[in-house]
Amino acid sequence: MSKRVGQKQAARVVRDQISKEKRRRRTVWTSVIAVAALVLAGLIGWGIYASQKAGSYNTPRHASGGATGVSTGSGHVPVDVYLDFMCPHCKAFDEEANAALKQLVKDKKITLAYHPVAFLDSASTTKYSTRASASFACAADGDKAFEYASALFARQPAEGGPGLSDDDLIQVGGTVGLLNPTFARCIRSGTYTSWAAHVTDAASGRGVTGTPTVYVNGKKTEATSEAIINAVKAASQ
Amino acid sequence: MVRPWLGTAARLILAGVWIVAGASKVGDLAASGRAVNAYQLMPFDVAQVVGATLPLVEIVLGVLLLVGFATRLAAAASAALLVVFVAGITSAWVRGLSIDCGCFGGGGQLEAGQSPSYGPEIARDVAFLALALFLIVFPRTRFSLDALLTGDSRED
Repeated sequence: MSKRVGQKQAARVVRDQISKEKRRRRTVWTSVIAVAALVLAGLIGWGIYASQKAGSYNTPRHASGGATGVSTGSGHVPVDVYLDFMCPHCKAFDEEANAALKQLVKDKKITLAYHPVAFLDSASTTKYSTRASASFACAADGDKAFEYASALFARQPAEGGPGLSDDDLIQVGGTVGLLNPTFARCIRSGTYTSWAAHVTDAASGRGVTGTPTVYVNGKKTEATSEAIINAVKAASQ
Repeated sequence: MVRPWLGTAARLILAGVWIVAGASKVGDLAASGRAVNAYQLMPFDVAQVVGATLPLVEIVLGVLLLVGFATRLAAAASAALLVVFVAGITSAWVRGLSIDCGCFGGGGQLEAGQSPSYGPEIARDVAFLALALFLIVFPRTRFSLDALLTGDSRED
């Protein structure tokens, strides 16, 4: 082997090593940048969520414990109903069980609480679940929450559409006697929008993942009038 | 050479999956948190944080794969996430929960009468996992930023 060929080979080895080192460094840097981008994305998501989270909220009249719903009655057995005004099964539940629940309240057997959660905001183009929940609280201020809930279910909008407008929500209130202008003002100014988020978070925190969900005396119960009546009987003995 | 082209296909498919999955959840981060909470695997506070961070991380992961930047790392992160998802869905199945996986938005408990489809959801994630594993083993693909940066046109 001549001296010159040897030098050439040595030079190539060095070049290879340099380019290998360069490539390694580039890999390290691209990795660092990629990881930073992923971490940053996560932090931004967290930040957005934290800023959206309900900090303070207004509490409506007749609020249940922890202001996580609206209650009526003075019976010993608590009955908690989690519902979403956009959910068809909740409408069916209210239609089926409403009379029985009313009777139990009247007989002073139960304290009934409706927790209007906003799980289905994505099922309308205007966050109807949240707006309906907030308007329910407005109705509570006017002492007509439960009548209003049934009236809202009777006018339940189709999924995927805009839902009822604020005007419609106010007009539905009129049909159950909520004619005071404070009710309309309450809806238009979004007084209870953050309350709706509070109710929804509290429900999730309790482990409610779907609607309707019913608890009688703290125990999960099938969402039918029959099951509720039986559970109330068992709880009052 | 076909392999770099296969890699490009795998990269683009996976990129599409992440971007669609992230975009479908990013509009309602609270709902994303509830979907995570429905698995009942962590306290609600933790589930909310996971749910809020996940959509944007998925989108960035999708973009990294789309442009082919740090492909091996993005593929490894994809595989790790997919393993977690498969584990989560499996555990929901084993515990008899009746939830929507919330993979592409939605999520939470299914309505009465709806039955969960854990089998197909797991099969789908395993297929995506296979794409990610392919990219971990063969991260050099056509039309990638990685190739552009290294000026590397070597066939391997």
